[in-house]
Amino acid sequence: MKSMEEAKRRYEEIPIPEELNQRVLDAVQMAEAKRVKQGRIAQGQVEQGQIAQEQMEQSQTKPHQKIYGSWRARWARGGLAAAAAAAVLFVTGLNTNVAFAEGAGRLPVIGPVARVLTFRSYQTEMDAVHISVEVPSVEMIAADLKGLEAEVNEQIHQFCQDYADEARERAMEYRQAFLDTGGTEEEWAAHNIQIQVWYEVKSQTADCLSLVVTGSENWTSAYQEFRYYNLDLQKGGLMTLEDVLGKDFVTRVNAEIERQIEERRKEGEIFWTAEEGGFSGISEDVSFYLNESGNPVIVFDAYSIAPGSAGRVEFEIPRA
Amino acid sequence: MNTDLYEEITAYLIANQNQFYRLAYSYVQNQEDALDVVQNAVCRALEHYEELKKREAMRTWFYRILVNESFQLLRKRKQFLWQDEEEIAQIPYEEKAFEGTTDVYTCINQLAPELQTIIKLRFYEEMTLREIAQVTGRNLNTVKAKLYRGLKCLKGMIQEVDR
Repeated sequence: MKSMEEAKRRYEEIPIPEELNQRVLDAVQMAEAKRVKQGRIAQGQVEQGQIAQEQMEQSQTKPHQKIYGSWRARWARGGLAAAAAAAVLFVTGLNTNVAFAEGAGRLPVIGPVARVLTFRSYQTEMDAVHISVEVPSVEMIAADLKGLEAEVNEQIHQFCQDYADEARERAMEYRQAFLDTGGTEEEWAAHNIQIQVWYEVKSQTADCLSLVVTGSENWTSAYQEFRYYNLDLQKGGLMTLEDVLGKDFVTRVNAEIERQIEERRKEGEIFWTAEEGGFSGISEDVSFYLNESGNPVIVFDAYSIAPGSAGRVEFEIPRA
Repeated sequence: MNTDLYEEITAYLIANQNQFYRLAYSYVQNQEDALDVVQNAVCRALEHYEELKKREAMRTWFYRILVNESFQLLRKRKQFLWQDEEEIAQIPYEEKAFEGTTDVYTCINQLAPELQTIIKLRFYEEMTLREIAQVTGRNLNTVKAKLYRGLKCLKGMIQEVDR
């Protein structure tokens, strides 16, 4: 009842009367008629009397029948392509993030002081390497967060750009090596190399917006990159673990992770031991995001504390 | 005469007429007036299509016309007292027309006109702040501040009822 989503749904349920289309077409014709006349006046081809007469004729006949013909003819000539182009243009302009849209519905009205939207999205293919990039942008409305928005967006955009460029270079080197060692173009194409840069909103509350921007290549996980952004919507700036958990956060997080590792080992998960280079305490700038319940989740890259087969390992740390 | 642009605008206007109607309706609150607003706005846009400098700005350019037409009709009907920006800023609007509801949709329609527009464009039409700035002819920071205030107003209205 109290959500923006509800309001939007009601807005979208405003019924469209049948006459609307005809009224819009009438307007198009009215404008067209005026334009034709003005054009003639400008060219000096028509005497005043003739115009007056035409106007009278028009008021007597049904205006749309008369002019509709000429408009439609023009339409058929080149309008369809234009119509299609326009439609595409405006659909892509509205690329808002689904995760946000779903999340926003649950927020109180004041909640969405920030939102994430797709700033740019493109897909290209070159030498059978498929690249798909979705660059997010954060939009904030609270004026006292000045600077944060621009700074974060610049970082994000730079990251997306750099990752896509570097990944393409890597793929091109790989391709060259593949061809040099006797591979054919067909065999290369069968590799179906894909590079993806995308983002995901982890959580959003009135206090914090948490998102992750990811770059990955399907032929190697060695270069996968994840960037976490936790925006403090109250104070401005990026949230740190200290902001979330307090001064002794390192001790607390380490104890909690060790406890969870023990627990998960009992369930059969494999973690490297300290001797094997396993978990030995977090660094102050460890990656984390806030989940839907507002708890920080610490993320370790694949291979860093457990075998690569485990992928990235996450630990949710309950707030005090 | 730039025929391509003219046809592109025409195509856009026809393809998105339902959206235009809804926005117009949300201001004037009845079918006949909303139809008039859309018809006038379309006509006006095509007559002045040369004022559209960049075709990427087509959407915001047209919404500006549409919103203006809506307000003009309301002014004509004197349902709506057009006030100076400064005045609006000082009047706690929710006290004026507040009927006691927790329904966000209704609350939005009771906000000051410009706040309404900003909220509708953002949440109903999902425009970016930059686009909203173009439609309203305000600068980006003003739009942000107003949106923030609009949401605060809404929150106030809703909490009032809860109490």
